[in-house]
Amino acid sequence: MIRINDVTKKFPTVTALQNISLTVADGEFFGLLGPNGAGKSTLMNLLIGYLDPDGGEITVGDDKVTRDNLEARKNIGLVPQSLALYDDISAQENLEIFGSFYHIEKRTLRHRIEERLRAVELYDRRKDRVSTFSGGMKRRLNLIASLLHDPSLLLCDEPTVGVDPQSRNAIFDYLEMLNCAGKTIVYTTHYMEEAERLCTRIAIIDSGTIITEGTLDDLLAKLSYEESISIIKNSSTIGKLELFRQFGTVIDDDDRFELKPNGTFRLSSFFKSVEEQGVSTRFIEMSKPTLEALFLNLTGRSLRD
Amino acid sequence: MKTVLALITKEYKLFLSDRVAMGLTFLIPIFLIAIWGSIFGSADSGPEHLGLAFLNASSAPIGRNIEKVLDTTRTFRLVKSYQDERGNQIPFDTVTIKDYVRKGNASAALVIPPDAYTDTSIGLKLKFYYDPKNEMEMRIIQGVLTQTIMSQLPGAFIEGMQRKAVRFLGLDSGTAFNTGIKSLVSRYFNIDTGKIVFPSLTDTTAASSRESKGGRDFFKNVLDFESEQLVGKNIANPMATRSVGGWAMMFLMFTLTASSVSLFEEKQSGVVLRILASPISRVQILWSKYLYNMSLGFVQLTVLFVFGSILFKIDVLSNLAGLILLLVAASMACTSFGMLLSAVSKTQSQARGLGTFLILAMSSIGGAWFPTSFMPGFIQAFSKLTLVYWSMDGFLQVLWRGAPVVDILPNLGVLVGIAAVITSVSVLQFKKGHVF
Ligand SMILES: Nc1ncnc2c1ncn2[C@@H]1O[C@H](COP(=O)(O)OP(=O)(O)OP(=O)(O)O)[C@@H](O)[C@H]1O
Ligand SMILES: [Mg+2]
Repeated sequence: MIRINDVTKKFPTVTALQNISLTVADGEFFGLLGPNGAGKSTLMNLLIGYLDPDGGEITVGDDKVTRDNLEARKNIGLVPQSLALYDDISAQENLEIFGSFYHIEKRTLRHRIEERLRAVELYDRRKDRVSTFSGGMKRRLNLIASLLHDPSLLLCDEPTVGVDPQSRNAIFDYLEMLNCAGKTIVYTTHYMEEAERLCTRIAIIDSGTIITEGTLDDLLAKLSYEESISIIKNSSTIGKLELFRQFGTVIDDDDRFELKPNGTFRLSSFFKSVEEQGVSTRFIEMSKPTLEALFLNLTGRSLRD
Repeated sequence: MKTVLALITKEYKLFLSDRVAMGLTFLIPIFLIAIWGSIFGSADSGPEHLGLAFLNASSAPIGRNIEKVLDTTRTFRLVKSYQDERGNQIPFDTVTIKDYVRKGNASAALVIPPDAYTDTSIGLKLKFYYDPKNEMEMRIIQGVLTQTIMSQLPGAFIEGMQRKAVRFLGLDSGTAFNTGIKSLVSRYFNIDTGKIVFPSLTDTTAASSRESKGGRDFFKNVLDFESEQLVGKNIANPMATRSVGGWAMMFLMFTLTASSVSLFEEKQSGVVLRILASPISRVQILWSKYLYNMSLGFVQLTVLFVFGSILFKIDVLSNLAGLILLLVAASMACTSFGMLLSAVSKTQSQARGLGTFLILAMSSIGGAWFPTSFMPGFIQAFSKLTLVYWSMDGFLQVLWRGAPVVDILPNLGVLVGIAAVITSVSVLQFKKGHVF
């Protein structure tokens, strides 16, 4: 579906993307995970043809994507990161306007508008001005405004920022339903939970480069350990940094130490030593490794920075 | 208090962050004051080189004197011939000089007819044709003209008397008569004999500063100043008819500037991205904005003129075709102007600032506020570069002069030309992708 071949995009002061290559297959739910400023939105803008790359080439389906190729975007829906809505008119009117850009037959459009509004639970508020909506409601409207032409490729740029957990789940369900119905989805986020939950394949992007990509299992397998250990920072643990370092690399992360176990690590001997030093095991948590840990491992930084 | 101070600091920080917008805030008043200063600044000198059609058909010396004085006053620039279709300069005659004014090439004409002054007459006969398309200008022209001619009368009058005396009485007695006249005038006007100097024919300019006020009133009776309004005689509301064009243009430019900068809001909210994500090109967005703004401008102007015709009896119907064409051309030009603003500005406040600056500048030098003829020559050259000048002139032609469409073709052409040029510049600028 999507082929990104050695794409570079430069802005006057920064290189937003550096020699990116990616492919997304038909029907995939592809996650683009990365921290702020990683280049996610820039990549989305290139995929829709809003920007032209400075180097490399992007094709969607059979069409080469450029600023001037209108054909390529007919079948793509972009959910912009910003709330791209007209505040002073109603939700319904917004959808009618954005739908009109695709020459959809009137009845079909009306039908789709109703269906999408119901799907994100905005049907009752359809006659209200968008300026009276809450942040989360605007997000949901922002999402469906990109779905009116029933695109086979959907590009979602952080579509759930500021949405409460319940509505977020509703959005997830909706997107998964669309994916099941055969739509290809590219989903950017800096929440690893979202990527883990939704995406069949994930690329981690940082500072304009793809640092790794694969299925969730592929990615987690890249971690050399099976357990992730975090030690809560408090008076009894802070002084024991040297002790923890004997078992692996320690990363100082806000309120806790993250321990990346080394090759010879044994859980039993770790707990034994720790108890001997008078650290309560209550302060030690073990979990399955996550993308968060992988990001930490690859970049030495936390995803949330 | 501290809070208010913090808020004020915030305002200044934001203001200072946009250098261009800030600069314009100061540049606008400075520039406009400079323009007004150059127009009204040297109050005693007044406007310069107002075109005045002039024909001297009289052989009397006073005719030449008046011509000479008018030629040397800074207020007027005498036009004594016109250009025919083949580009030849043809001297005026009594018919063509009226046409010249009627067509709007000059606001006024002064004709010294063949019988302006004869040996047997005491009075001076003059003809004045005028087109009060601009009241301010007409007042100045009439004022200065009257003053100049009056200044010539005492000399002419006395010279005539002298000549008659010499002819009737012979040289000796004539001289005696002259001396007698001197004391007579002195007694009559209650002036010191020494102060009465008979003006010589070669010293005409000096005469004007020397003549006395009392003398002027007296000689007024002697002057037969026949004036005829050539244009706009039957217009119900001259004031409104003359000024409606200038007002219309200003409103139009403000509306279209405001409307054009809406692009910045759309860009900021991301709507532009959403629109461009659909199969719509930048050029299509631009043209749709252009056509929308143009129609908006056209409707606004139409409403303005409809109300003008109801409230102020401005006659819009007699020349409807010309007026409509002009409205379309003016809307086109103003729309391009708005587009240019949003194409060259980086922020909305820059576009607004630049817009205000250009609107006020163009209105003032384009003649919406005071006649361009009052402005120094180099500013007048700029006047003709403004769309305000050409549209106002067009409205004047259509509403005031009742000119047929053919006569406003140059105006339409220039306006459409301006629109084409600045639209191309804007489109190029937009293509570079600075705006979206
Ligand atoms: N129009 C622009 N002009 C200049 N620099 C830009 C522009 N757009 C993006 N950048 C820069 O490109 C880099 C990548 O930005 P981008 O918006 O793609 O990041 P992102 O991954 O979407 O971040 P976020 O999660 O915060 O949305 C950043 O350093 C940003 O400052
Ligand atoms: Mg982004």
